[in-house]
Amino acid sequence: MRALTAALLVNLFLVVVGAAGGWHLWRRTAAQADARTITWGGPEREWRDVEGVVRAIVPELGIVVLTHADIPGYMPGMTMGFRLAGAKIPPSLSVGDAVRFTVRGSPPLVVVTAIEKP
Amino acid sequence: MSTLALALRWIHLVASVALVGGAVMLLVAGASDRPTALAWQRRVARAARWLLLVAVVAGVGVLAHQTALLEGRAGAAFEPRALLRVATETQGGLVWLSRLALLALAGFFVSGGLRVVARVDWVALHGETAALAALALALASAAGHAAAVEPGAIRAIAVDFIHLAATGVWAGALPALALLLRAASRESGADARPYAVVAGRRFSRWALVTVIALGLSGVVNATTHIADVAGLIGTTYGRLLLVKLVAFALALIVAARHRRRLLPALSGDAETIGRPAMRRLAASVTTEAVLIAAVLAVVAALGVTPPARHEQAAWPFAFRLATAALERSTEARWQVLVGSQVAVIGLVGLLCVAMLRRQRLRLPLLAGALVLVTMGGALALIPLAVDAYPTTYHRPTVPYTATSIVSGMAVYDEHCAVCHGRSGGGDGPAAPRLPRPPADLRAPHTGDHTAGDLFWWVSHGIARAAMPGFAATLSEEQRWDVINYVRLLGVLETARWMGPTVDPGRAWLVAPDFSYTVAPAPPRSLRDYRGGRHVLLVLYTLPRSRERLAQLADAYQMLTTLGVEIIAVPTDASPDAIKKLGDTPRVLFPVVTDGGLDILSVYRRFDTAPHAEFLIDRRGYLRARWSSRTETARDMNRLLAEIQELNQEKADAPPADEHVH
Repeated sequence: MRALTAALLVNLFLVVVGAAGGWHLWRRTAAQADARTITWGGPEREWRDVEGVVRAIVPELGIVVLTHADIPGYMPGMTMGFRLAGAKIPPSLSVGDAVRFTVRGSPPLVVVTAIEKP
Repeated sequence: MSTLALALRWIHLVASVALVGGAVMLLVAGASDRPTALAWQRRVARAARWLLLVAVVAGVGVLAHQTALLEGRAGAAFEPRALLRVATETQGGLVWLSRLALLALAGFFVSGGLRVVARVDWVALHGETAALAALALALASAAGHAAAVEPGAIRAIAVDFIHLAATGVWAGALPALALLLRAASRESGADARPYAVVAGRRFSRWALVTVIALGLSGVVNATTHIADVAGLIGTTYGRLLLVKLVAFALALIVAARHRRRLLPALSGDAETIGRPAMRRLAASVTTEAVLIAAVLAVVAALGVTPPARHEQAAWPFAFRLATAALERSTEARWQVLVGSQVAVIGLVGLLCVAMLRRQRLRLPLLAGALVLVTMGGALALIPLAVDAYPTTYHRPTVPYTATSIVSGMAVYDEHCAVCHGRSGGGDGPAAPRLPRPPADLRAPHTGDHTAGDLFWWVSHGIARAAMPGFAATLSEEQRWDVINYVRLLGVLETARWMGPTVDPGRAWLVAPDFSYTVAPAPPRSLRDYRGGRHVLLVLYTLPRSRERLAQLADAYQMLTTLGVEIIAVPTDASPDAIKKLGDTPRVLFPVVTDGGLDILSVYRRFDTAPHAEFLIDRRGYLRARWSSRTETARDMNRLLAEIQELNQEKADAPPADEHVH
């Protein structure tokens, strides 16, 4: 084989391998990023027994603000407001209560379906 | 085993570098039809085959050694499955595998099986060899220290890539050049002499460019892996680098002689000047190549030595140079000023010597200039010398956190307070009986000493002051805890003057880090806000703080918008803090339910009022303090104005922890 032909073929080969490798790497990084982000929409899911503490109650809106632990596959621990299913807030609930609650829905449309003091 | 591994790395490196350089040298010299030149080209091409074989074999050896290390048993080095696992599943292994594959591709070109029909084939043949081999060599950067740099691994790899490629292109060409020059300097090689002269000149120009690239990338590499002078002379990595630099400098001196003396002489009369010069040049280039091989041995060693940045530097001298002394003594300032000017005059003298043509004046002028430089230097540097110890540049292994300070406080009260006093004033009950009064730890001078100095004193004591060492009684962690506490004691006095107003551009008081939990959310620490948000740390007592908390709760959204997080700690550190706050006002910022005790133990040293607020900027500095003792009510707009002040500041102070005294 002529040296020039060989050099051109090898370079072509390297470009193809490099592009394939880059594509593979990119796909992998993208897949990892996907695994970290919340999938909005999609089928309805449920997270049971999430620990939280009640920070505020807004009965007129049917909302409780909870500081909660990590919700795996949904969000890290933070303070945020949750709507209660049926907008019924248990009358015994008060600020500072440690609670366990169940979130249900397809993010970001989720509601708290159960909340109880352990 | 490790000597063998080092030898394998070195052999691999030398062979790879010479493989790249050989092909480059052929390209630089160009094609020729002179018999001696053709013989040389064949010789280089033959050598390339051997070099490639050696590089691959040694490379596989390195990979096998790596496998044995990773698998934790020597036998794994000879198991194909273990080798394959390491080669395909670790980043280092993948890089080595790709490099070996590139070398194998290069083998296709050095094998001699390809037809060379036209000149373009010849260029393609050697160009492709050079490119593949250089890529294989430079890719090693992705498996070395550069790949572990955090953050900025990509940049570090890119710089190291250039460094390695330049090494191959320049240093690797030296043996081939030496061969050509030797062949052409013989009587029988006279036909190739013009070819060799041209090759030498072209290479010289080529070398200048690559050596500059080598130097620049080397400087960047060094600053990536070595933090400071202490790292350079106090760690194995730094010392190896110094050895490398000396060998490299020698090679450069040899190279400079080539450019200035031998290259111009090549075109002289063949019998009397040209040929002897070429012989000398051949010998000298060989010397240069040997020096570079020594440099590569150091490079192989550097590759398996942890970078200085990750090591504790052992300072070898009993003194260090610090400008701290200048801030207190006018006399010292004058001495440094005068001394440095004398030294500058001396340097100007040296410059004159270098440019002077008259031989007779040179020697006396040189002597005078040297005396001035030495005297001036000594005069200027002596006031800057400060006592130093082997641990002077050790970085604290325990960070400056509330938890560590609290542990240090207990150790201090037990072991140190008897002489230094409970609050560090040097007035403990045992102090009057000592030969020398114990140091006042509240005095600002503790800022002159590094944390490593304190570590040395706490560990080994100070004999002349009858201070005992605690290396035997306290663990290393406990000693760092005490130092963290002493660091706090050292700033308390000055911190007392900090008021509610931010002093623009003056960030000096490092806020001790702390971690806290708002159950059941995962724990967070002050450090997490670094580079992101300012923190308003609120120490509150109910019921008197209720009104203020309501104010903060109302303004919380505004504060968040301005980049502030509020962290509230009840002074009773109650785990029921949220319950006690009740439902009005609606407090939604973090109220610490766990970890509050350590925060209180430390931050109440700054202010003991029932309600105190600390504004900590996003670089981790404590910038303003507001206490219910000095002002009963605080205007929210003033707080917002202070925060705006912080937001408009340029980030010029280093992040808080770099600032260790």
